[in-house]
Amino acid sequence: MIEQLLSDLSFFKPELTLVVTFLTAILTDLVFRRSPVVVAAVCLAGFALTGIFILGQNGEEALIFGNMLTVDAFAVFFKVLITLSAILVLVFSLSSAELNTPGRSLGEYYSLLVALTLGMILMAGATNLLMIYLAIELSSMTSYILTGYTREAPDSSEASLKYVIYGGLSSGIMLYGISILYGLTGTLDLYQLNQVLATGDINDFTLLIAGVFTMVGFGYKISAVPFHFWTPDVYEGAPITITAFLSVASKAAGFAVFIRFLKVAFVDAGAGEVAGGFWTMLQGFDWPLMVAIVSVLTMTLGNLVALWQDNMKRLLAYSSIAHAGYLLMGVVVMGNEGTAAVLIYFIAYLFMNLGAFYVVMLIANKTGSEDVEDYRGLAARAPFLSLSLSLFLISLTGLPPTVGFIGKLYLFAALLNSGWIWLAVVGGINTVISLYYYVKVFRNMYLREDEEKKGRIEVGAAQLATLVVLLVPIILFFFYFPPIVEFAQASIRIFGTP
Amino acid sequence: MDLFDIVFYCFALIAVGSAVVVVFSRNIMYAAFALLFAFFGIAGLYVLLQADFLAVTQILIYIGGILVLMLFGVMLTNRVVDVDIKTGTLQIVPAAILAAVVGGSLSGVFYSTWSTVSGTPSDVATTTPAIGEMLMTSYILPFEIASIILLVALIGAAMIARRKT
Amino acid sequence: MLTEFGRVLIFFIIGAVFVAGGLVTAWLIRPNRPYPSKLTTYECGEVPIGDTRVRFNIRFYVIALIFLIFDVEVVFLFPWALVYSQLGWFAFVEMVIFIVILFVGYAYVWRKGDLDWDRPAPKIPTFEKGVGVREDHLLEEQVVGS
Repeated sequence: MIEQLLSDLSFFKPELTLVVTFLTAILTDLVFRRSPVVVAAVCLAGFALTGIFILGQNGEEALIFGNMLTVDAFAVFFKVLITLSAILVLVFSLSSAELNTPGRSLGEYYSLLVALTLGMILMAGATNLLMIYLAIELSSMTSYILTGYTREAPDSSEASLKYVIYGGLSSGIMLYGISILYGLTGTLDLYQLNQVLATGDINDFTLLIAGVFTMVGFGYKISAVPFHFWTPDVYEGAPITITAFLSVASKAAGFAVFIRFLKVAFVDAGAGEVAGGFWTMLQGFDWPLMVAIVSVLTMTLGNLVALWQDNMKRLLAYSSIAHAGYLLMGVVVMGNEGTAAVLIYFIAYLFMNLGAFYVVMLIANKTGSEDVEDYRGLAARAPFLSLSLSLFLISLTGLPPTVGFIGKLYLFAALLNSGWIWLAVVGGINTVISLYYYVKVFRNMYLREDEEKKGRIEVGAAQLATLVVLLVPIILFFFYFPPIVEFAQASIRIFGTP
Repeated sequence: MDLFDIVFYCFALIAVGSAVVVVFSRNIMYAAFALLFAFFGIAGLYVLLQADFLAVTQILIYIGGILVLMLFGVMLTNRVVDVDIKTGTLQIVPAAILAAVVGGSLSGVFYSTWSTVSGTPSDVATTTPAIGEMLMTSYILPFEIASIILLVALIGAAMIARRKT
Repeated sequence: MLTEFGRVLIFFIIGAVFVAGGLVTAWLIRPNRPYPSKLTTYECGEVPIGDTRVRFNIRFYVIALIFLIFDVEVVFLFPWALVYSQLGWFAFVEMVIFIVILFVGYAYVWRKGDLDWDRPAPKIPTFEKGVGVREDHLLEEQVVGS
């Protein structure tokens, strides 16, 4: 046993690096109290090293630490995604005017960012319900603290408090669901859970209740309706860098753990590969229909409420709820094509959503406002920022020539190939609705005049470079998308499943 | 009804009765102290379920730590002792529907799985060494992650409670 | 195991009976002759100033929070201590990692000054016009309320 645990450590290098980085960052903050840049540098180095170790895991497959965690292509994909967004968010934070106010100690901010990343990365690989719960708890707890980081802003503390109450309730319900599952099957291990469920000797009603309760926890993480209530307030109140991170990485980790939970525990492992790559779900729980209903509710509510928003952060919050709905459409397919579509969409979503939040942050740095009305005449004041924001929003809508189009294309193709015509129609209608509120922002930027004639908004060279790094993939992957499609299709392999 | 059952119903009564006081008491101090008895009743139930480690943990952490923290929280807030803490009931219809649905489905769960529960738990000497061995071997990762979570909680709590400098 | 805890229960019951018995006996046999100065807070004659319910210092709360974290840590030490002799150095290293991680938190709260008790500077009693003005009671109030 001990030798086994020691040899498992070699598969645990990325997480171990993050733990060490976290501890080092805290201690560095204690030594260099006046210069948070040193802490940021430590964290950046840690993230880079983690990224290298994760890329080194490419192609490896293992179950480690007594089946607590797995290393497989699926986990590696999400780890890459999460680490990449962590690095980008760290770079964003360096130039955020909201965070870098005089007198604020940012050491804890950077350290906690590492802990948050660790929690999400553990979520991507967890194969034991206890580990899933702990990983969700680690990432949630860190998110609460980071949401309330700008304490002097009243909406930040309010957002943090709402997040704590809502998160505590959701994780409590999830834990209850897990405990019922444990009582029902006698195991917390997803693979053993699958074997017990496959015997069919399970009370269907109890399984339904346990499944729904467990879903609450996942639904809260990906902000699916009706567990989305925290999202607008938290996204609006949190520092914008944290909002960006939560909207991308937290959602990705939530999807990773949700898809793994479904695929490992509820797919009939004995049935083998079915033609077309569809999963054979175990009887007793109609997962596809339930996920489909949640998906429709999520995207419709997200898009409809977004129509009335006039704060950019709130607008993007509702848009990110709607995107969770689109992504759930890929899960509904319950097949390899659908999963690949989700992964492709996530690559697109990473760049376009982080980019949109980054531009909003750069504008707020100079104008101090996130109000859509204050974007009037922005094209004249900041032509490049306006152009970038337009491209990110076009990509979020899913129109060419952006990578968002590729993401939507694969999602809808997967839906149509699996016969979910009605869901594809609902998704299409929702895309049209979303166009309306994104256009509202374009109209303000390009077609309306600013009465006060404020001066130009200048941004530094480093910020422009970061923006270009985010813009290039948006365009590039539209014209040359095979690499991301191949990467996603190679990453749907989940350890120990057909 | 043997001695075991009598003790069980005593503890159950303590737990449920105190919980009712916690919810319906108009004085937050009384509510906090009733919570002590609720925790104590739960600890007694753990003992009856042969979960000795859990029972001791319950006393040590909930009564020794969390309750003290709550009392400090109460005393931190000025004059909350005399103030009527209850506010008006809002959204009573949706709340009642939700509570009925959740309560009904949970009752359904208990009813449908009742027959599968085997009688009395086997008499084990103590669970603590077994828990220790599991923590050190197959549950090593959750154990170490727990320390990271505790560290995050410590930093967050200290940071939020700290006065602005 | 149940019998072990049975003894604890008997202990609890005897303790409860003892306290209740003492109170009831006292209530039965004591004379009941209240008068105003007997009913004051300090029967010795000291007159209390202000409300007893002062607002507590937030430091108490911070300390309680920190205590809670290390309380949980101690709970993990119990099962470890029981199996330490079987598992040997491996268990030792695991626990050292666990404690070192939490020790970073301890270093954090120490260095950030969360353990410091910043009392207000005590007011030195001053003499005005040769008449001593005792301000001891003000001093005491500040210490409690700070």
